[in-house]
Amino acid sequence: QTHFLFLSLQAKMSRPVRARRLEGIDKNIWVEFVKLAATYSKVNLGQGFPDFPPPDFLKEAFVKTVSGKNHMLHQYTRAFGHPPLVKILAQFFGKLLGRDLDPMTNVMVTVGAYQALFYCFQAFVDEGDEVIIIEPFFDCYESMVKMAGGTPVFVPLRLKAPKDGKLMSSADWQLDPAELASKFSNRTKAIVLNSPNNPLGKVFSRGELELIADLCVKHDVLCISDEVYEWLVYDGKEHVRIASLQGMWDRTVTIGSAGKTFSVTGWKVGWTVGPDRLLQHLRTVHQNSVYHCATVAQEAVAQGFQRELELYGKPESYFVQLPKELQQKRDCLVQSLDAVGMKPIVPEGTYFLVADISQFKSDVPDVPDSDEPYDSRFAKWMVKNKGLAAIPLSTFSCGAHKDNYNNFIRFCFAKEEATLKAANDILQKWKREKTSP
Amino acid sequence: MLFASRSFCCLGIRTYQLQTDLLSRSFRFSAPTTMAFRHKNTRRIEGLDSNVWVEFTKVAADPSIVNLGQGLPDISPPSYVKEELAKAAAVDRLNQYTRGFGHPSLVKALSQVYERVCGRKIDPLTDILVTVGAYGSLFSTIQALVEEGDEVIIIEPFYDCYEPMVKMAGAKPVFIPLRYKNDGNPASSADWVLDPAELANKFNSKTKAIILNTPHNPMGKVFTREELQVIADLCIRHDTLCISDEVYEWLVYKGNKHIKIAMLPGMWERTITIGSAGKTYSVTGWKLGWAIGPQNLIKHLQVVHQNTLYTCPTPLQEALAQAFWIDYKRMDDPDCYFYSLSRELESKRDRMARLLQEAGLKPIIPDGGYFMIVDVSTLNVDLSDVDEKQPYDYRFVKWMITSKKLSAIPLSAFCGPETKRQFEKYIRFCFIKKDSTLDAAEAILKNWNKQPA
Repeated sequence: QTHFLFLSLQAKMSRPVRARRLEGIDKNIWVEFVKLAATYSKVNLGQGFPDFPPPDFLKEAFVKTVSGKNHMLHQYTRAFGHPPLVKILAQFFGKLLGRDLDPMTNVMVTVGAYQALFYCFQAFVDEGDEVIIIEPFFDCYESMVKMAGGTPVFVPLRLKAPKDGKLMSSADWQLDPAELASKFSNRTKAIVLNSPNNPLGKVFSRGELELIADLCVKHDVLCISDEVYEWLVYDGKEHVRIASLQGMWDRTVTIGSAGKTFSVTGWKVGWTVGPDRLLQHLRTVHQNSVYHCATVAQEAVAQGFQRELELYGKPESYFVQLPKELQQKRDCLVQSLDAVGMKPIVPEGTYFLVADISQFKSDVPDVPDSDEPYDSRFAKWMVKNKGLAAIPLSTFSCGAHKDNYNNFIRFCFAKEEATLKAANDILQKWKREKTSP
Repeated sequence: MLFASRSFCCLGIRTYQLQTDLLSRSFRFSAPTTMAFRHKNTRRIEGLDSNVWVEFTKVAADPSIVNLGQGLPDISPPSYVKEELAKAAAVDRLNQYTRGFGHPSLVKALSQVYERVCGRKIDPLTDILVTVGAYGSLFSTIQALVEEGDEVIIIEPFYDCYEPMVKMAGAKPVFIPLRYKNDGNPASSADWVLDPAELANKFNSKTKAIILNTPHNPMGKVFTREELQVIADLCIRHDTLCISDEVYEWLVYKGNKHIKIAMLPGMWERTITIGSAGKTYSVTGWKLGWAIGPQNLIKHLQVVHQNTLYTCPTPLQEALAQAFWIDYKRMDDPDCYFYSLSRELESKRDRMARLLQEAGLKPIIPDGGYFMIVDVSTLNVDLSDVDEKQPYDYRFVKWMITSKKLSAIPLSAFCGPETKRQFEKYIRFCFIKKDSTLDAAEAILKNWNKQPA
């Protein structure tokens, strides 16, 4: 009896349990903004996913795989990537990179590009290593570097001065070469590159990439190249793969995403492409974390790529049609925002654009001594009062630099016509309210 | 390294040509490609690169081999499970991101099923995390709660990933073997037990967690309430966590009951219970699992999750939710898949045991799970031709694959360094296989002593 009493007094878990690697990375911007959008938004241009359907050929491939005679497709496949998928990815990216790729050693499948990023940091970043992150950045880069015990080192893209009367382009966000060079030290392990860039839509030019490549080679630094939006480039611009530049193949892991490539973000299929001597370490992390990725979606994505390989460059190719459609949607949203007085910066790629909202200061009450950046307050006010959801740009920068970006908000335009029209209606009504007495 | 310019006409309208001016630029740098490549792996994955599965799944991939090795069913999942997935994929928004910590309809279904099993309220949003397989739950749990300086107790034999995951988190694995009782029957998994005094000795102030696996892979042991109470008492006394891998929870054979250690007094607040869609519904390729526990522990797993993969696939989660509703409604009915699969597997277990016994072997009869282990040294097979550096069971399995076209998994892969010798005569067979596979295995075992033509 007393034994039981003793134990029940001791029952509560009293010692601190959380591992130190989670320190400082528990907050997440999406939690708050997704909740706000869910509660208030009539038109959600916030979180980045399409509200239009995936292509029919891909949905058919998935259903065929699920219901087909081969029920073994519901069981484990090869851990490092379903053979039909890694084979077609090796073929496809081999052509694009100009080299022979071995599907077994130069390609590895992951649960979304997100996990590919996690693997790179876990495999290559030790405590004390520095990782250069270009701001603004997809928010997980910073927390993943920290979780790996690394130190993020930020270098900002800065907006050139606007030319009167002309819309700005994402190309006007630029790195200062001397500033970039100064960030490389003997502790620098890697630089994270994201092109086309989320949130700005910037597509790094060959010259800009060569600048980065030169520094990587000079300082023997790895390049983690997040190219999930590789197909979403507009106005005939070229997406240049940094792994194809001089000296870069051996030190680059290129990351891709079926979610963004085929408009199926919910399938969570991503991949890494790179030299065996780098990918071998990603394989080690993979076999000690989730080990296998789901089979069915890999099979369907393989079929999708097979179709695209056959149609490459042709008008029916999804990789031709999707950017064409998205370019129109981009132009539509740019027009809406410009007409209202928000200053959109026309993106060269991705399905995001940022707009300067400094002209709307009058609408959003000033909160003296507020820690919260202006754009964040504005975005919250906008979703609550106008029902239009967008994401403040300062959330894509590190704490110390939020002031550089706090007059911009990010819109996602991978949306049906009806959604963009509804957004336009909200914006037009807002403009009328501002100009009427 | 010199780059020749190449063009790719097969790319259609656009040819891709490497700039020839790169040739002239290559001399600007001091031999970049001959510089020593300093980018090795991080410390956290040092020594974790080899893996029994990589070795043996490759070898057994040959379709002419009767594969009783890796634990995957070759029976079909229930048709309604496949149908639900096809239905889910037809809904456009179910092909886009869902809630990070678990698709709402799935965590709701899981909370209902487990509330019924556990008899306690489980909050779907705070007490559950959906992960990429139970494997992913193990990873998230260990990354969230285990670190350098910690010790984690692992019961041997163990599912092989426990050891490298604990090491990757920077902690020290502390092993304790199951041993068969002196007066017990070594052929019964129930008679392989932990020595309570030996177990108590493994706990100290550094012990962060103990990993429990019941029903147990590879032995098939189903821990009794009394055995779990011994573990629970120690966890409470030493304020230790319990990571309870219960993926085979439904696969328990007559005369046995699966007990959840989290339900013992004082254990809910210190236990993470892990489950698996792959094992529950015979869909290992769906890679969906879950961790259930108190909010103050699950919240840390959720932080790991949001920094590692953020969301799990949507259509699979939706389909799984629908399948759970179907079976939740019939949890009082013997036709519920949770029970019907178990009955189906029990007869396969009995058949597998008979086949091995007829071949002159003494398998350990599992009370749960779908694996059976057996000491093969009594067959006295001449392994002198097979790679001498490896343990006996690795060599035996390799020999068996090549000369008998039958595969299994060597048990020493599931042991820590001190216990490998104890188990190196054992191999593991998986029996969640269709009749024709077991027929083929039977033919091989019947003809074991005949020389190949």
